Amino acid sequence: MTPETVTFYALALVTVGSAAVCVMARSLIYSAFSLLFTFVGVAGFYLLLGADFLAATQFLVYVGGILVLLLFGVMLTHKLYDLDLKSGFSQFGPGLVAAGAIFALLLAMAVKTPWKVAGGRLPAPTTAELGQQFLGTYLLPFEVASVLLLVALMGATLIVRRRKDA
Amino acid sequence: MIGLQHYLIVSAALFALGLLGVLTRRNAVNVLMGLELILNSANLNLVAFTRYGSGNFGGQVFAVFVIVVAAAEVAVALALVLTMYRLRRTPNLDAAASLRG
Amino acid sequence: MQELQRSLSSFGPEVVLTVGLLLVVLADAGLRTWRNQAVRALSVLTLAGALWAVVDLAGQVAPGPIFSGMLAIDPLGLFFKFVLVLASFILVLAFTFQNSRELAGLGQGEFHALLLALTLGCLLMTGSNDIVMLYLSLETVSITSYVMVAYLKGDRLSNEAALKYLLFGAVSTGAMLYGLSLLFGLTGATGLPEIRAALAGGYDDAGRLTLYLITLLLVAGFGFKIAAVPFHFWCPDAYQGAPTPVTALLSVVPKAAGFGLLLRFFFGGMTTSLAGTWDLTGSIEWPAVLMLVSVATMTWGNVAAITQVDMKRLLAYSSIAHAGYMLMGVVALSANGARGVMVYLLVYLFMNLGAFLVVTLIHQREGTFDLRDYPGMVKRQPVLTLAMSIFLLSLMGIPPLTGFMGKFYVFAAVIEKGPHLWWFAAVGAVNAAIAAWYYARVMRVMVIDESDEPREAWSLAPVDAAWLGALVAANVLPLLFWDRIEAFARGSLTLWAGL
Repeated sequence: MTPETVTFYALALVTVGSAAVCVMARSLIYSAFSLLFTFVGVAGFYLLLGADFLAATQFLVYVGGILVLLLFGVMLTHKLYDLDLKSGFSQFGPGLVAAGAIFALLLAMAVKTPWKVAGGRLPAPTTAELGQQFLGTYLLPFEVASVLLLVALMGATLIVRRRKDA
Repeated sequence: MIGLQHYLIVSAALFALGLLGVLTRRNAVNVLMGLELILNSANLNLVAFTRYGSGNFGGQVFAVFVIVVAAAEVAVALALVLTMYRLRRTPNLDAAASLRG
Repeated sequence: MQELQRSLSSFGPEVVLTVGLLLVVLADAGLRTWRNQAVRALSVLTLAGALWAVVDLAGQVAPGPIFSGMLAIDPLGLFFKFVLVLASFILVLAFTFQNSRELAGLGQGEFHALLLALTLGCLLMTGSNDIVMLYLSLETVSITSYVMVAYLKGDRLSNEAALKYLLFGAVSTGAMLYGLSLLFGLTGATGLPEIRAALAGGYDDAGRLTLYLITLLLVAGFGFKIAAVPFHFWCPDAYQGAPTPVTALLSVVPKAAGFGLLLRFFFGGMTTSLAGTWDLTGSIEWPAVLMLVSVATMTWGNVAAITQVDMKRLLAYSSIAHAGYMLMGVVALSANGARGVMVYLLVYLFMNLGAFLVVTLIHQREGTFDLRDYPGMVKRQPVLTLAMSIFLLSLMGIPPLTGFMGKFYVFAAVIEKGPHLWWFAAVGAVNAAIAAWYYARVMRVMVIDESDEPREAWSLAPVDAAWLGALVAANVLPLLFWDRIEAFARGSLTLWAGL
């Protein structure tokens, strides 16, 4: 029972458990907050896997950005006095069967496949390496990502702005 | 001893739960949450393969780009949800049935 | 630094598009008077420049990787880039904010910026040689198109269409991403040449099953982009809700980019590719998977189109079916198959843009997309009806129009693979016959049917008539110099796959 094993199982419980709550909860606020725990759990996994920069990015972008946006989405799409914020399901049975089958398939695949194992990469600070890759091998995706963000920014503003332009 | 398979099983669970959310929820924001679970599961795969598998650092680099794309997607999605709510007064997807398939 | 310079010299079209995109954004933000005109002029100039850059590159470039293996430059990629930029160029010129009733009065700046960004993303998609680049470029195209579908801001239909498109697309690409992560785990590499080398080693049964699963997940993302069954559900709604110029764009440009990506990924990544002959790696029968997708796509698209009365939905299902025919060329797994896909896309571009231009012009004058309002069109606007008939006949695949050549090449590529695929070609032929029925129905309604109430005839603006004429010519004339086109396609058959 090494500390690593205990940490892993604790994180797994938190992550998968809160993901289940997120999907199944009727109240949108419960869903949003359990998603918070899922994201934190995943960030914990990244730390366990030695991806320190990625864990920080996960916190900043997912928890600090995406989750906050989702909460805005939840809050702004209900009348303020409607504190229920309930949300329903449709065709839960077939969906559950499909998701269950896919999980079983992925489980079997995870265990049986001959994944490429070549020593792996021991946990070590990754920020410098990431910097090297972004400005080295992966320079073009890095620049394309900035175009993507420009387009998304323009697009989101365009969609939401009220006045019509001429 | 924690190994590759452990992480793959967790990510499989996240993927399946995300898919369940996408398939069965009526509210657009809930579908978005399911989508985020799917993207996180793929990211977990990528980082786990870098750590325990081939050691190719590209996995972590790819994961950073996935986070970027996810953020952009959620921004546009929420802009659309907000506009839909403004035009229809409900965020439920099955009320948006003007288009027939 | 050397590498960067070398890469940039082969990167002309993309650089032009990026600079143009930034200039359009600046112009839209900075100018006050003449803003719309300036933005449009910039957009046209940029696309013309990109087209020139593609043609310029074609002669002089040696196939190889650029940007550290992120992109591959080869004649195949350049062919697709040519088709993509040409399609966007024609679109900006022929579909304006003047002749589209839906877009009239809206700001043009964002439209052109998004158009240039989408074209840029599509160019990158067809050159992607690495799964990171593949994912990023595909998502750039997707996000841009979600926003363009939602361009009609106050319109419920446009917004709903965009949201459904986004949710469907994001989940499909999410599944594709999961598949890419598994591929990364299986092969230990992100570059396509390395992936192919790793796959060539062969796998045991468990590995092969995983590879099938990966292929299915990837087909989810690729299928979504080209609107193949069962990942096509977004297509009719998105095409109907979007402003028609956007629909025309979506029906050609991302679809062509998707096929460029498909060819490069499957021919270059999952086969042992040698010049001219392709062989499957020891691993899996992915053509079988694509064959099923192709049959389902053709059949569903054609059958669903029969009952449609909304022209945009009808053309949506029609374009779904055409993707099915094009997939036949991918299934054929041969140089002729690749050539079939390329030729088909080139002729499809002219037929489809023409049909959508007609629909836009009719909507501009009569305010309707409903086929039930089309009777008697031949009396009201005979030139338009004639043009539409040519486009429909070309879509049907009637010789001597160029639409026939597309189908001919694809069918021939399948048939020559051997008798075991003849049933597949037969399915294609039956589908073409079914399609002929609903294209003919549109022609019949426009030419033969009488309208209930008398409506007055109207005339086309000279510019619109000129563009209709040009597109009709593109559907009729190429047969005269077909050997040049054929040589162009055949010469572009080199796919650099990192040998």
